[in-house]
Amino acid sequence: MLGRTAFRLFIIMFVMFYAGIAFGQDVLQKYLNDTSLKVKATTDPSQKREILNKSFEKMSKALDKVQSSPLVSKEDRAGIDLFKATLQEKLDELTGLNGYERVSDEQLDAFSDYAVQDMEQADRTVTISLVTLLLIIIIVILLA
Amino acid sequence: MLFAGVGCLALALFLFSCSSISPAHRVTVLGEEGTFPPRYSIVCIIHGDGGYLYHDPRGNAYRADEETLAKAKTVAERNPQAEVFIFHEKRRRHFLLFFPLRDGKFYYYRHGRLLAEESYWRDRGQSRFDPEVEFYHRFRTEGRPQLVRFFLYFGHEIPEFGGAGYDASYSKRMFTVDDLAHGLKRITGDSTKFDLVVLSTCFSGTPHTIAALAPYGRYIIASPDNLHLSYFALDPFEQLDVGLPAGDVSAFAKTFAQHAFDRLTENIQTAVTVAVYDVDRVQGFLHSVDSVYHQALTTLKGETPASIEHCDCAEDPAYILPGMSQGVDVFYRPPRFGRLKHKQSHSGWECWRFLK
Repeated sequence: MLGRTAFRLFIIMFVMFYAGIAFGQDVLQKYLNDTSLKVKATTDPSQKREILNKSFEKMSKALDKVQSSPLVSKEDRAGIDLFKATLQEKLDELTGLNGYERVSDEQLDAFSDYAVQDMEQADRTVTISLVTLLLIIIIVILLA
Repeated sequence: MLFAGVGCLALALFLFSCSSISPAHRVTVLGEEGTFPPRYSIVCIIHGDGGYLYHDPRGNAYRADEETLAKAKTVAERNPQAEVFIFHEKRRRHFLLFFPLRDGKFYYYRHGRLLAEESYWRDRGQSRFDPEVEFYHRFRTEGRPQLVRFFLYFGHEIPEFGGAGYDASYSKRMFTVDDLAHGLKRITGDSTKFDLVVLSTCFSGTPHTIAALAPYGRYIIASPDNLHLSYFALDPFEQLDVGLPAGDVSAFAKTFAQHAFDRLTENIQTAVTVAVYDVDRVQGFLHSVDSVYHQALTTLKGETPASIEHCDCAEDPAYILPGMSQGVDVFYRPPRFGRLKHKQSHSGWECWRFLK
């Protein structure tokens, strides 16, 4: 199991160094897309909620760990803060905290799409270095 | 002997990949142009050097630039009365890890047929659009003042200040709205404006962006708010003879915007905002907010992205002026979730504010 994970990490790192930073962002988007597919695959609203919750929390934890790493620059920390803020907003909305209306059971599929699409806007690209992106992805994979 | 052969091949590849031959002299001409002159001219720039992955609700992955390129080619093939210039700005790639490959691709269609295509090096200097301008002036149809002209840009938000990092492959390279305006100036030269400029990016409906591009377009379509990477649908550009029968660009722009809005709202849960700016009619508003907006930009220049955000100009009293809605048609639907899900309208103008 450990060997397989290490092999996957090696392949991902090799491909990312070869393909560049944008590919790293793609991995994070794919992670959220997988979450959305899992949400839609189940009919039980409490399971949907749990999948979303776990996914956002896992990503948040990974960002926290990376942010505390000495390898991460000041600029990257600011970029990670933006990521974290949007993730926290989604967690808050999912559970109805901090002034948000709780997402209703009927809207959970659409909400999972919203989480994916919110990362797929033609806005200014968040400048996070390749090293930091790699760290985030590695931690997300290790937390899986 | 083997090493010598590999070495020669490597050197040849390196020299070939670094060739500085002018792009217009390397074009592969694929066919002869027809005899009748085109009625429409479309220039399409597709930026692909960045994060352009998106998914549909079924989870299928797409690359925005590749999808747009395919659609632009369809538009080119279905318009026998058009000439179409397509520039695909690609991510830097290497052959065998070491040999850089050209990061731009040019296609030229006329009368529905691909007449030329060529890979080229994108401009890495200050000018930004040197190769594109060169290709355009080499192939364009001259002496047709009645040509209906379109400019389409697909990419991420074009920065109003700063501008480093727009290209993922060239992180120190700068690109701003003023660079795009300069590129349009060189394409249009001293001749007529584009009849319609379409900016398929986020946050392009700002007073500065519209003012910067105003000298080069009669109508501008842009998204003042966020725009999903599935972009504005290009279907109305297919068969312009049918969609633009009497040359009424104003009506066509509104039809295009409505269609783009309808397509986006089918599947997108985030905000959808499409605005059509009648450039002559928005000049009054632009002049009246010019100084306050530029003052805001100057203040923001030193700030980190985490401390500022975009907002509807209507939320800032300094911009609420009598002519604010004049010349702007806005198609808006708020995001289905998030803080702004109850926001019922958008002025069509996007500004900046500090985060509290």
